[in-house]
Amino acid sequence: MISVEARLARLALQGDQRAFAEIVELYQDKLYHMAYRMLYNRQEAEDVVQDVFLRVYKNLERYDATMKFSTWIYRIATNLCIDRLRKRKPVYSLDAESGEHEGLDGYAMIPSDNRTPESELLLSDTQRIIHQAIATLPAKYKSVMVLRYLEELSLQEIGDVLEMPVTTVKTRVHRGREFLRKKLEHKL
Amino acid sequence: MNCNVAVMLMHDYLDDELPHDDIAGLKAHLDSCPACRTRMEQLEQTEALTHRMMDTHFVVTAEQSSQLTQRIMSSLPVKRRRTGSGFSRWVRNHPAVSVAAVFVLVMFSSFLAMWQQDSQLAVRGPDLAEVVIKGDTVTVPAGAHINGDLTVENGKANVLGEVDGDVTVISGSLYEASTAHISGEVKQIDQALDWFWYKVTTSISSLAY
Repeated sequence: MISVEARLARLALQGDQRAFAEIVELYQDKLYHMAYRMLYNRQEAEDVVQDVFLRVYKNLERYDATMKFSTWIYRIATNLCIDRLRKRKPVYSLDAESGEHEGLDGYAMIPSDNRTPESELLLSDTQRIIHQAIATLPAKYKSVMVLRYLEELSLQEIGDVLEMPVTTVKTRVHRGREFLRKKLEHKL
Repeated sequence: MNCNVAVMLMHDYLDDELPHDDIAGLKAHLDSCPACRTRMEQLEQTEALTHRMMDTHFVVTAEQSSQLTQRIMSSLPVKRRRTGSGFSRWVRNHPAVSVAAVFVLVMFSSFLAMWQQDSQLAVRGPDLAEVVIKGDTVTVPAGAHINGDLTVENGKANVLGEVDGDVTVISGSLYEASTAHISGEVKQIDQALDWFWYKVTTSISSLAY
């Protein structure tokens, strides 16, 4: 059986703009949410989502219908997010922990944008702490954790999206979870 | 159970990947080790909080959403390149077959070109001392004895004497006198395909020896 997305993709390939708009509708909010969790910046998340669909549109004919469409589109999206995280501070590695502040790395130093959805709501202390913890996750753990907790993908699916062996995904989930646990340990 | 092992099992448990038998083992360890029990509680709490945090407090209004949709749709390139035609897509999807087909085509056309260009008389054989060539006629005179094969290309072969081997005539004609004696095979090649096959087999057998 052929998936809805594959059918829409074929229609879009034949020049049907409405079919492509349907694909956008199916994935736009999910991708936006995911990009936001990776970047913690609304503007950047919007840019990434736009970029994702542009790439999908340009490469529709290369979509392999035997692969799940969601895997394909998440792969494009995570790659773009990781690219952006890398580009933010090109001079030194963000993953390196800074000497002065124990447990803080480059990500923690980046001022997050003020217009976060979180700030529009009143956050409890607990929520603020966990938000902070997730925001400071190093990029390679963040992509895994976002796919795991936000998209609720299985380890195998995450491996497919990120094109890495399941064992690596597993290790990253474990390390990411421990990272968060340590950040929360004395605060909760 | 070692505490390090227990921590590994805890993660597997949270990933829903812990075999049933190991769950009992982990439980036994947690009952006896307060440190690990605390750790397990922290991990579970982290897990739950992360889940909740990722999922909630993210509001996208319908208006924002449709604005983004509009932005995406208007950013698409207006004119699509017409790359979707069946042939080019097929070529893109079957690179190896396409390359092989092109290779065969080039080989075949070069052989064909050689076939058409080659109009010079050529005589080949290990023993050509007694062969007489006049114009485009290659004669093996009566009484002559040729040791080995004789190949004539683009000419007439006129065999009156003895040939101790094969006689091959390529795009030409062969006359055999009643006095002629050919010990080997007599081959006449006229068709491009026969000629092609002949070229391939001779070049392969010459490679082999």
